[in-house]
Amino acid sequence: MEVVLHLPVVPNVELVAAKAVETIGSALGMPQTRIEAASVAMVEACLNAMEHGGGQMVVRMATDDSDDIPSLIIEVEDQGPGFDPAVVPRNSASRVHGCTTKRGWGLTLIRELMDEVQIRSHPGRTLVRMRKYVENAP
Amino acid sequence: MNDDQMQLSADILTDGFGVIAAAGYINNEGGQAIADAAHELIDKGCATLLIDLDGTRIINSIGVSILLEIMEKLLEDEGRLAFCNLTPTISKTFEIMGLVQYASVYPDRETAHAALTGHAVE
Repeated sequence: MEVVLHLPVVPNVELVAAKAVETIGSALGMPQTRIEAASVAMVEACLNAMEHGGGQMVVRMATDDSDDIPSLIIEVEDQGPGFDPAVVPRNSASRVHGCTTKRGWGLTLIRELMDEVQIRSHPGRTLVRMRKYVENAP
Repeated sequence: MNDDQMQLSADILTDGFGVIAAAGYINNEGGQAIADAAHELIDKGCATLLIDLDGTRIINSIGVSILLEIMEKLLEDEGRLAFCNLTPTISKTFEIMGLVQYASVYPDRETAHAALTGHAVE
């Protein structure tokens, strides 16, 4: 099963991608809590792509049955200037408490809510690849 | 799924204790709507606010960042912020972003009311 969405930068378009996660996750038999975690991660990846990508983004979803536990693979790709994921700090409550800006949580949430995350980025293309297993690993 | 339609109500239940019920997508607009309701209740003398998220299943970090600002405002005023009816994913997101370090979380409105006021809901 594979879904590809070419999404324009319009308000709340990230909900289209989140709805696709819900539909495919349900078809895989994924528990609601895991679907919702993947949906929030999808929303954050789309918001990052819209904010930094500078144009249309491409979202791909596919199921992977090659492991003992099936999983949902999500990719969000943009054509922005790129960044070095290694230098993006993990955000924390103590870091933002008392600061005027509270932003910068996207990658931290994605890494916490998904089972695996890979980021490949260079000028002109950033790809965030995430995996959520259908159930907890034994 | 009509997750982008924020349904919101705000009430003062007892003296100094306000409740905001918010159902829908907590993005920048949803978060700001909650913040506006919170500031209105604070201006009316509510030092304790309970935000009931029954019916909210999807959030984003921009919306939650606005909730962090409400929390800091209440802490500055020596008030209290609490949440109830959180899904496990929203609860985990709040934990990651530090909301639960300074705000209380309750399973439902009745439990929250009893804990925050010392009185059960009649």
